[in-house]
Amino acid sequence: MRILVAEDLYLLRDGMVHLIEAYGHEVVATAATGPETLRALLAFRPDVAVVDVRMPPTQSDEGLQAALAARREVPGLPVLILSQHVEQLYARELLADGAGGVGYLLKESVFDGEQFIDALERVAAGGTAMDPAVIGALLTSGTSHRRLERLTEREYEVLGLMAEGLSNQAIAGRLFLSDSAISKYTTSMFGKLGLTDDDNVNRRVQAVLAYLDHS
Amino acid sequence: MKQLLGWPARAGTGFLRACAVAGVTMTVPALWAAAAALGVHGGAGNPWSWLLPVVLAVTGTLAASRPLCRAVRALVARWTGTAVPAGYREPGPVTRMATGYWWNGDRYERTRRDALMDQRMRTYWRDPATWRDLRFTALAPLTAGLPACLPPAGAAAAVLALTGAAPLLVGPIGAAVAIGTAPYAWRALEPAAVRFLRPSTAMLLADRVDQLTAQRADMTVTQAAEIRRIERDLHDGAQAGLVAIGISLATAERLMATDPERARALLRSARAGAAGSLAELRDLVRGINPPVLSERGLVDAVRALALTTPIAVTVTAPADRPRLRLDPPIESALYFGTAELLTNAVKHARATAARITLAHDGTGIVVEIEDDGRGGATVRPDGGLAGLRRRLAVFDGTFELDSPEGGPTRAIMVVPCESL
Repeated sequence: MRILVAEDLYLLRDGMVHLIEAYGHEVVATAATGPETLRALLAFRPDVAVVDVRMPPTQSDEGLQAALAARREVPGLPVLILSQHVEQLYARELLADGAGGVGYLLKESVFDGEQFIDALERVAAGGTAMDPAVIGALLTSGTSHRRLERLTEREYEVLGLMAEGLSNQAIAGRLFLSDSAISKYTTSMFGKLGLTDDDNVNRRVQAVLAYLDHS
Repeated sequence: MKQLLGWPARAGTGFLRACAVAGVTMTVPALWAAAAALGVHGGAGNPWSWLLPVVLAVTGTLAASRPLCRAVRALVARWTGTAVPAGYREPGPVTRMATGYWWNGDRYERTRRDALMDQRMRTYWRDPATWRDLRFTALAPLTAGLPACLPPAGAAAAVLALTGAAPLLVGPIGAAVAIGTAPYAWRALEPAAVRFLRPSTAMLLADRVDQLTAQRADMTVTQAAEIRRIERDLHDGAQAGLVAIGISLATAERLMATDPERARALLRSARAGAAGSLAELRDLVRGINPPVLSERGLVDAVRALALTTPIAVTVTAPADRPRLRLDPPIESALYFGTAELLTNAVKHARATAARITLAHDGTGIVVEIEDDGRGGATVRPDGGLAGLRRRLAVFDGTFELDSPEGGPTRAIMVVPCESL
């Protein structure tokens, strides 16, 4: 994969580049400020970009704004946002365009190199990779609470993992269940939520999140 | 028609009010008149016969001025809604020292009663409000008292004419004066009270200095406590975690050659430790200054807060300024205030929904939080809400709470600021 790394702290940027190269991927460019990130995103069109939220010059949410701006220019441009903290508000903004190819993880997710690269690949393929904390909060937030009460505990668990971006197979592995059991749960879950089933993992996740967002 | 009916009613209330004003403002002149009568009775030419009446009148004036002024303030507030601030000095606390003596802020006394009495006298004589009250007692009869005497005097003249003690012609004139002036005669009290009974600029400034001194002391204490808490959290949390990670890494390095399996396990635990320390630091940072607040400002920070609250919260903000930025300390105070009020709505009021409205008028920012809970919240002196009020007071902000038993609770924070 051709990857762009946007991070203002040199040590972190360097570490990330090393990690990505250690897994045999190519870092095509790095950026250290918001405007630089936007320019690099549009110029290099990487397979996936790793972008920090807070960056110079204003030290506010420059990185996030650059990513959102780039995705307005190039819909579905895969971006994985890394941050010291996760906010539901930002997650909703990232998911709002419904184009997929978005990730939003805590910075310590790079501690587990394999899972991090896996998340990068998922986002590059147009899928999603969301921090469990965001998903958990999305599922339990006040507005969506009532609609989800009809789900069984197991279905709820499956929905959460699905929203993180996991495939049926991965969910089955996580919950120690068979693939067919998982697809049974998803079918009944979508029935209860009034969504039509679809084999494409990404579209299902988006449907779930869009549903939560607009309920 | 309504106006015609309203006239007698207004004249009636006006008459009663005029009588009350005359009673309150003319008490002291009446006292002096009585003293003069007593003096004349004892012999106008004899200086000794004046001694007792003058002493009595002076003592009476001194004793009556403050209660009379309080009465005037109460009447003005009740009739016109104009609040005239009193601005009396409050005596400080009286404390018992290790020696067993009592300290009242000025001198030591053997008993608490002596200390309190001494303090009361000192506060009274040193209080500029005392002299202002005396001045008002002297001026009020001329400004508010004389007009207010017209209706009762007219009525008295009419009654005298009826009983035959005065010429018959005086009757209708007196009645006309009483009825005609009744609705207006008492009204001079308000401007007089506002003009002469208000605390002077110097008194207001002195009050403000006291208030600011108290706030500064309060803030210094709060800040020191907060810094200690942060230090303790860092010391017990992240610092200790990093030490543990260092130990794990050192041990793993040593074991690498001899026992790679255990070394790997140690490296894993070091990684988990780093993640744990990060989580702790994140919580700490959130408590000091939520990142979303510095990244997005108050409106979006409150939106983010609403999303993580377990009840349904709707946030309304001025649409013309989606990224309203205020001074960071004000933003922080309002954000943590909102967070505290939301927590109360969930925890104490057992609300199922809340509504937050952020608005700005010309002078400041207004944050209103309303929930559908069971209400009954009060601001207790040592409670969290009093703390919230103190934190807002630092910026001259206010906190109002309306929470009847059974709900709903409505809380309003207002902070004046120009950076809008």
